[in-house]
Amino acid sequence: MTEAVETAPAAPPMPAPRSALAELFHFRQLIAMLVVRELKVRYKRSVFGLLWTMLNPLLLMVVYAVVFTTIMPAAMHNFAIFLLAGLLPWIFFNNALMQGLWSVLGNQELVRKVRLPQAVFPLSVVGSNLVNFALSLVPLFAMMIALRQPFTPALLFLPVGMLVLTLFTSGVTLLFATATVFFRDVRHLAEVLLQMLMYLSPVLYDLRMLGEHHEWWFRIFRVFLRVNPLSYLLPLVRDPVYYGRLPPLPALGVATAGSLAMLAFGFAVFQRLSPRHIHYL
Amino acid sequence: MRSGEIRIRDAGVCYRLYREKVTTLKEAVVNRFRHLRSAEMFWALRHATFTVQPGEAIALVGHNGSGKSTLLKTIAGVLQPSEGEVATAGRISPMIELGAGFDPELSGRDNVYLNGALLGFSRRQMEAKFDRIVAFAELGDFIDMPIKNYSSGMYARLGFAIAQDVEPDILIVDEVLAVGDERFQEKCKARIRDFRTAGVTFCFVTHGFEGARELCPRAVVLHHGRLAFDGPIEQAWQRYRELEAGPQPGPQLATGQS
Repeated sequence: MTEAVETAPAAPPMPAPRSALAELFHFRQLIAMLVVRELKVRYKRSVFGLLWTMLNPLLLMVVYAVVFTTIMPAAMHNFAIFLLAGLLPWIFFNNALMQGLWSVLGNQELVRKVRLPQAVFPLSVVGSNLVNFALSLVPLFAMMIALRQPFTPALLFLPVGMLVLTLFTSGVTLLFATATVFFRDVRHLAEVLLQMLMYLSPVLYDLRMLGEHHEWWFRIFRVFLRVNPLSYLLPLVRDPVYYGRLPPLPALGVATAGSLAMLAFGFAVFQRLSPRHIHYL
Repeated sequence: MRSGEIRIRDAGVCYRLYREKVTTLKEAVVNRFRHLRSAEMFWALRHATFTVQPGEAIALVGHNGSGKSTLLKTIAGVLQPSEGEVATAGRISPMIELGAGFDPELSGRDNVYLNGALLGFSRRQMEAKFDRIVAFAELGDFIDMPIKNYSSGMYARLGFAIAQDVEPDILIVDEVLAVGDERFQEKCKARIRDFRTAGVTFCFVTHGFEGARELCPRAVVLHHGRLAFDGPIEQAWQRYRELEAGPQPGPQLATGQS
């Protein structure tokens, strides 16, 4: 047989024991492929395909625009843009986490059979949601043109803001993905917590919009907002889009450092526990 | 370690088994968390020690539930041993699960690249292999169809075609030779003989003596998770038959902490 010649390479590359990070890096193309697969499978046989990703926020925006300009006019200028600039990053975080926490269990057939760094599954879910997030910017920009929202150079910062948010989201998703393997309840818990978190984070409002109240619960809420990482992350998208300015440098520093720490922590925990996953699938 | 070597030292794999019996509310609550603490421990494999030299071919023999698959999974690196050590050197091609990770919605072409990535190959490396793989699988124009439309034979052929093109140092085969029709099976066997002559280490899980003797001079017999024999294949088979004829104590359960 002719193929036989090619099977005996003189010096096959010897995969030495690799660190977890090097292993993950070696499988980087797998992550990319899983992202593409996710998108391909999701939009297979749907007429509009990827357009749905853009149509969804567009419809959302049209509804908001109509509601807040004609039915109940908000005090704020272009409130629809304001809302979208908070909702799109939130939807990214929310969807990546909810899909990602189930990703190890969802790919259990592979985990049982193929030796690979399991972190590729949650990370690829974050990746495909990031693609969706990026695509949803197209209708956002269209809406900005329609509502005469100015385009400023600050928009160039947007990729940086999205990257920082992605680091944070990856860390949280890794953490929840491994927790869900051991306790399936985590999924339901996360669903409830995310619903609460949405209102306890500056998604639909801005920290500056909060007035001063002296009730005890409001003070607690204030403290929570100060320790809530999303208070620092969401403005990274909203500031350039809506206010047309860069986020304050200290806030950016806190957000970046915190996100990196979250990612390192999530990855370390995931890596530590992943050899035991197979016993709990 | 030299490339192609497998070294197994006092390896054991323990599975947790939990029984669902809920009688009281307290138990119902406690049971939710019980799986993290004590469970019934089942040692699917214990105290296994042997070494496979580079280029050697061994057959793994044993009844169903003897620990063969568990041992294979630890060699393939899918499963970590609970105790002891399993060390391998070189690239392993596990023909345990052909087409693991195939996505039925994607085309054969996409699945070749996806499967290659699962085995750790880059897109460029797979591009170099692609034509060979399609030719080996004899799929022709079907390569661009979603593989959910494939017959089970085509599916398995594609799986084998990818697995056979990975230039392994260690080849693990779990009786997947029952792939496709007789002619394709011959082709698979010829391919495995090529690997053997090329000096690839070979682990073969089988129940058939003839097939095993043809390829492997040495055999390891597993019996209820223990290594019952390690030596020349004729004697190994004799031992295997004896053990099969003996009493069947059934799997042993032991309760304890992890």
